[in-house]
Amino acid sequence: MRALVSLGLAASLALGAAAVAQDAPVPEPSDEALFVEKCGLCHLEGGFGTRVLSRRVPEGQALLQDREVLPAAFTTMVVRRGIGSMPQIRAAELGDAQLAAIARYLEAGQ
Amino acid sequence: MIPIPPETLARALAEFARIVGADNVWSGDTARTSYADAMAPRDPASYAPDAAVAPASTDEVQAIVRVAAELGVPLWPISRGKNFGYGGAAPHIPNVVMLDMVRMNRILECNVEMGYVVVEPGVSFDDLYHYLVDNDIPLWMSAPAHTWGSVLGNALERGVGYTPYGEHASKVCGMEVVTADGSLLRTGMGAMAGSQTWHGFPYGYGPSWDPAFMQSNFGVVTRMGLWLMPRPAQTLNLAMKLDRVEDLSPAIDVLRPLKLDGTVQANPSLGNVIRSLATRGPRSALWQGSGPMPADVLDAARQQAGVGHWNFGIRLFGDPDVNAINARKVRAAFAGKVQAEFEESEWTGGDLRGSGHPTPTLAALGVVDWLGGPGGHLTFSPVSAFSGAEAWKQYTLVRGMYEEAGFDYYGGFTAGQRYLNHITMILFNRNDQDMCDRANSLFTRLIEVGAQNGWGEYRTHTLFYDEVARSYDYNNGAMRRWNERVKDAVDPQGIIAPGKMGIWPRRYREAGE
Repeated sequence: MRALVSLGLAASLALGAAAVAQDAPVPEPSDEALFVEKCGLCHLEGGFGTRVLSRRVPEGQALLQDREVLPAAFTTMVVRRGIGSMPQIRAAELGDAQLAAIARYLEAGQ
Repeated sequence: MIPIPPETLARALAEFARIVGADNVWSGDTARTSYADAMAPRDPASYAPDAAVAPASTDEVQAIVRVAAELGVPLWPISRGKNFGYGGAAPHIPNVVMLDMVRMNRILECNVEMGYVVVEPGVSFDDLYHYLVDNDIPLWMSAPAHTWGSVLGNALERGVGYTPYGEHASKVCGMEVVTADGSLLRTGMGAMAGSQTWHGFPYGYGPSWDPAFMQSNFGVVTRMGLWLMPRPAQTLNLAMKLDRVEDLSPAIDVLRPLKLDGTVQANPSLGNVIRSLATRGPRSALWQGSGPMPADVLDAARQQAGVGHWNFGIRLFGDPDVNAINARKVRAAFAGKVQAEFEESEWTGGDLRGSGHPTPTLAALGVVDWLGGPGGHLTFSPVSAFSGAEAWKQYTLVRGMYEEAGFDYYGGFTAGQRYLNHITMILFNRNDQDMCDRANSLFTRLIEVGAQNGWGEYRTHTLFYDEVARSYDYNNGAMRRWNERVKDAVDPQGIIAPGKMGIWPRRYREAGE
C-alpha cells in the first residue's frame, strides 16, 4: 500500500513537471515565456550569453530583449548554426515553430 | 570508414519517417550542422553524421533499431548531446544516423520513500531540478558543472558531481535497454516481471549488466533508475584557498583518510587558479600576450582576484550535530599541514543557492571564452592515485606539457573515495588553426605520456576514443579484445555506435577502421 501511495504521488507530481505532458492539453506558452524557458538560462541577467555579449555588442544591449535591432532571420540562423561560444540548438530540442515564435518576439523588441 | 550506400540511407530514412513522422528525421546539411561538435578542435564537418532521427518513445526506438539492423545502417545514440569538451552531440565517425532521444524527456517515476527517480534519456538536470524543487520533493540531485545535459547520459558517461551522490555511475540502479535486434531488456531485478526492487537492489541474479551499458555500445538505454539523496537539514562548507602551489600535495594527503573513513562524503574538487579566473572573464583583461600566462602576471592576477593557486570547498551534508563533529575533524586534520585557513559557511534551508545542491546554470560554459573568439575546449581527464606525491607528479608533468604547447594549464582534482579525477581542459580559439593543431597534438601526447606513467583517462573526447582505448594495453589489449567479442555477440550487424570507446564491430575491423 505504501508503495502505491508513493507511485500515486509520482503520477500526480509528473503532471506538474515541465518534462511531462501526457494527459491534459497544455496551453501554448506566450512567445516571451517560451524565450525565457528555452533561452533564459544563458540570455537573462547574469547568464553566460549575456556576459559574453556584454563584451561584444554596444553598451546596454547585451540582453537580447534590449537589442535595438535583432532580425528574426538572424536569430534563426544563430540558433541553428551556433555562433562564437554558443552551441547550435537543433530542431529535435527546439522545433521550427517554437524557434519562429522566439525570433519573432525578439525582432519585435520589448 | 564504411559509407552508407545512398539508396540504403534513403530507404532507412523513409522507414524512420514512417515510425516517427517526417518532421523528426533530418539529413544532409541540416543533420550535419545540427549534430556537429560545437567545441570542435578540428573541422566539425569531418565527423558530422549523415542523418538523424528523433524518437519519442521506447517503442519507436525499438522500431528504428529493427530497421537499422535489417538494412545494416549504423546508429549513433545520444541523450541530449550536451557532452561539451567530449564531443558534444557529435559521433565518432561521420557515416551514421544519429538516434537522438532528446524528445524522450519524461520523468517516469519518483519514489520519495525509497529515494530514487526513473528517467528517460532526454530529461535534463534542469528538468529534474524543477521537478524536485517545484514539487517540494525532499530529495536532492547531483549535477556536473553545467545543467543543460542529460541525467541519464551523464551517468552513462560516468560524469561526476559534487554532493555525496556525486559519483553518478554508482547511483544508477536498474535500466531498460533496447538491444541491437530491437528487443527489450531490463537489467538487475527488472529481469523478473513484476519485481518490486528494480530500482532498489542493483545487482539482480547472475552477472550485473548496468555497468556494461555505461561508456559502451552494447545497447540503447531508454530508461534508468537513479538514487537521490535525502534532503539534508544542513550543509556546512569549509572553503579553502591555497596560496602556495605546492600545498596541493599535503592537502590531498590530509583529505584521503577523511574520504576513506566517510568523514567527507561529497567530492571536494581542488581547482587551480586558471579554473577560477576563467569563470570571471576573458584572459585579455589580464594579459594580452600569446602562449601561457607568465608566472608573475598570473600571480598578480590571482592576488587581485582574491583566489588561491588551488581553491576548494569541503562540504558536509546532513544533521547539524554530525556536521559539527566532522567539521572539527576536518579542521584538526588540516591544521599545520597547509598554510591556509578554512572559511566556514552554512545552509539551513530556503534558497538553494550556496547550499551545495546544484541550481540551473550554464556558467561553466563561460570558460570557453577565455581566449576570445569562438571558443572550444578539449578535456583530458586521467585518473590519479589518491596520493599527494602522485597528484603532484601528474600535475607538474601535465602542466609542463600544456605550457610547452603554448596553453594555460586549466585543471583540478576531484576526490573520489579512493582516487582523484584529474580533469584538465585545453581551452582554444576555434578560429586559430595553429592553436587547434597544437591542441590536437598536445592531446595525443598527453594520452601517450599518461599511459607511460600508468595513468588512464576516465572518459574522453569522441575524436580520441581509439587512442585512449589503445592506451589500455594490458596483455595485448585484452580488455579491448574482450569488449569486441561481446560486441560481435550482442550486435552482430554492428549497428550501435560503432567505434564508441574504441570498440569496433567485426565488419568495421575487417574494413580496417
